[in-house]
Amino acid sequence: MFNRRSFLTRSALLSLSPLVPGFLSRSLANESATRDERILVVLQLDGGNDGLNTVIPFADENYARLRPQLRIPTADVLKLNGDVGLHPAMRSAHAMAREGRFTILQGVGYPNPDRSHFRSMAIWHQGRLDAESNSGFGWLGHALDHSQANSTTSAQAVFVGDQTPPLALLGRRTQVVSLSRENDLVLPAGFKPFAAAEPADSDLASYIQHVLDHSYQTARQLRTSAEANAKSVISSYPATDLARQLSLVSLLIKTESAARVYYVSQPGYDTHVGQAGDHARLLQTFSDAVKAFFDDLAASKLQDRVTLLAFSEFGRRVEENDGVGTDHGAAGPVFLAGPAIVGGVVGGHPSLTDLDDGDLKMSLDFRAIYARLLKDWLQISDGSSGSNDLHCPHLFRT
Amino acid sequence: MSRWIPYSPTPDRPWNLARVVHLHRRAGLGATWAELQRDLSDGPDIAVKRLLKGISRSEGVPDEFETLSATIAKSAIDAEDEHRLKAWWVYRLLMTPDPLGERLTLMWHNHFATSLIKVTRLKWMHRQNLTFRQHARGAFGALLDAMLNDPALLSWLDAPQNRAGHPNENLARELLELFTLGIGNYTESDVRESARVLTGITIDDLGSVQFDSSKHDGDSKTILGKSGDLQLGDLHELLTSHPATARHIAWRLCREFCGENVVDDDALNELAAGLRTNQLRIDWAIETILRSSLFFSEGNLRSRIADPVSSLICPLRAFECHRNPPNTLAVADGIRRMGLNLFTPPNVGGWTGGRSWMSTMTVIARTNVIAELLQGSMQLPTEPIDLIALLDRYHIGDTLSDAIRFLGSLLHGDITNESVEQLARSVREETDRSHQLRTIAEMLLTSTAGHLH
Repeated sequence: MFNRRSFLTRSALLSLSPLVPGFLSRSLANESATRDERILVVLQLDGGNDGLNTVIPFADENYARLRPQLRIPTADVLKLNGDVGLHPAMRSAHAMAREGRFTILQGVGYPNPDRSHFRSMAIWHQGRLDAESNSGFGWLGHALDHSQANSTTSAQAVFVGDQTPPLALLGRRTQVVSLSRENDLVLPAGFKPFAAAEPADSDLASYIQHVLDHSYQTARQLRTSAEANAKSVISSYPATDLARQLSLVSLLIKTESAARVYYVSQPGYDTHVGQAGDHARLLQTFSDAVKAFFDDLAASKLQDRVTLLAFSEFGRRVEENDGVGTDHGAAGPVFLAGPAIVGGVVGGHPSLTDLDDGDLKMSLDFRAIYARLLKDWLQISDGSSGSNDLHCPHLFRT
Repeated sequence: MSRWIPYSPTPDRPWNLARVVHLHRRAGLGATWAELQRDLSDGPDIAVKRLLKGISRSEGVPDEFETLSATIAKSAIDAEDEHRLKAWWVYRLLMTPDPLGERLTLMWHNHFATSLIKVTRLKWMHRQNLTFRQHARGAFGALLDAMLNDPALLSWLDAPQNRAGHPNENLARELLELFTLGIGNYTESDVRESARVLTGITIDDLGSVQFDSSKHDGDSKTILGKSGDLQLGDLHELLTSHPATARHIAWRLCREFCGENVVDDDALNELAAGLRTNQLRIDWAIETILRSSLFFSEGNLRSRIADPVSSLICPLRAFECHRNPPNTLAVADGIRRMGLNLFTPPNVGGWTGGRSWMSTMTVIARTNVIAELLQGSMQLPTEPIDLIALLDRYHIGDTLSDAIRFLGSLLHGDITNESVEQLARSVREETDRSHQLRTIAEMLLTSTAGHLH
């Protein structure tokens, strides 16, 4: 199994902080404080996930009526309680839910929902409803700006993906780095570093030499570790982009990156046409990747430090459309994973008959979830975008 | 100007290849061997003048450069493809006759840092970039005025949301803190009152910036001690005439052109004072810096960490990769992996720069990017860089030492005998000469000296 002690020698312990090597930005004296920091991983289900076919109200007779083609047969639903259950492709998430590591928040949304991908995603990213009082910053970037642990020299958030980092991470001063693939942490084949024999002739030159030495050392250790653990850890991830990205997040956490927030995105949820097969694949990819990620962290005794939030910019229309798909809707489920969360199903399923213009009504404001995550998990007090007054049940075990 | 006396070669500070390379890496984007030799022989006056006039590149500049550039930009915008817009800028960095102009454009992009994360209209981001270039060398007041009419910057800082009775201080705060005075030279009240002056700005879908007096707060304001019905023009005048702004701009320029611990407070203040008597003209300040003894002092050589743009464009130019069309998309992505995503600064403060360019991740990215460059994956078609042809072009001797000395001089300006021997030893096992030369280039570019420009 993964052995952190052998994996990282002390000298390279802190050196993967993405902007400035940790050994230069932090003293070893407060190293343990940083190593115990809690971490939030945000997974964006991009395109508007069909919540109704994800967390299925199988006991409600209206479900089958409203979804004549797309309904999941009751027998196939992975039951969570007497009312709702998960899509059959979500076996991994279901197993996690039974272990208390996967939590379903039902009916999440915001007042006066916007059905535009761009606009609704901007609302989720900024944690604000009104463009008029728009701060221009993302909810995480804003929060990290207020974080006590704020150090201006190392990255506080890492975006793993090929795209531009999301608006959610934009802060006034928050440092975000993006990383697209594991190869970004691997030295080229046959690479020979050259260190001139003569000593560095300036403080700057010796700084550079120091960073180079530690970077190469870290890269070699990562490689050694990746090879040594190829069978036990890396290969336990499914061969999907999302799993690869989460395995990279795990690698960064294991190497003591100073970042407290990680962000990944899974595209494809905009299922207007022929939804069934695509949606099943998306949900399986999502749930298998999340389980592999937490199993990997658990094996390294790191999972207690990590909570994952999965959200989508909106749910989809209750009634399916003529293309055996679904159109843009409103409220939908949000998922939290990790052992620190209460587990199970939080809130009731929105009514299938009392609708808002054909869409599910929300019962839990997403900004209240943000406030809980920031206050109770990341312990950042002044980052809640003024949403402290919104009600949200306790999400964390005490 | 006692701290900025002009440079003239002396036995202590000769006009040598190291200083020519220094000039082109700091004020340009690197140079070919022929360009370096040209400036070495013509002397510092002419070499600096070529950069200032925007004619320092004599090689590989297409006749139709501006036309081609405009075509590339238009197709990127029409396709709504941000990667192609970044590639457009890379095309300019590689092919422009005026590398100083591109360096200044990048500097202003960092000063008025605006990001695609929020401003998703490529047309506006492109327009802002053209504005930076147009005003890059002019009076700072004109650039500031253009920025206060720039849809990308104004929407980035929520200017249209700032209305009478509904203040949004985003633009006002950054205007005072980042664009002009700098922190410590204004009060919170100045920010609030400036925000009131800035009410009423609107932007339509076409990017036209207008003033809507019905949204404007017309009551009296007090800013920096001056009271009255202050208008945008008054605020502009207050800021550009303030000594702190001149000092802030002087700081920005020194940070761009000088290394760590080179410019002390006296030198900075003197440059700031000169800027004030010269209507904040950027070209005056740049000429003062580039012609100074301080700029060519031993302490200023190799005292700045190479930014990601220089790290990649300088070797591409030195190896004369412009002879085959480089894959500008791959080059832009390489620059991003090293920590500078064009059109996407990390926040409103821009890239921190300096030592923060060096991290485990960016160092590893850089070794990969350099390896890819030498293997030719930034060329179309993919073909390893032919260093033998480069050496032959300049009639470099056949020995390994001759080759190493040439590559060290081309890339770093000079190389010690010890390093030549050390490099020769480390590649003597390699039998393929072409591969051997690429290994040497890779080792030079990834060494400590390779990170210092």
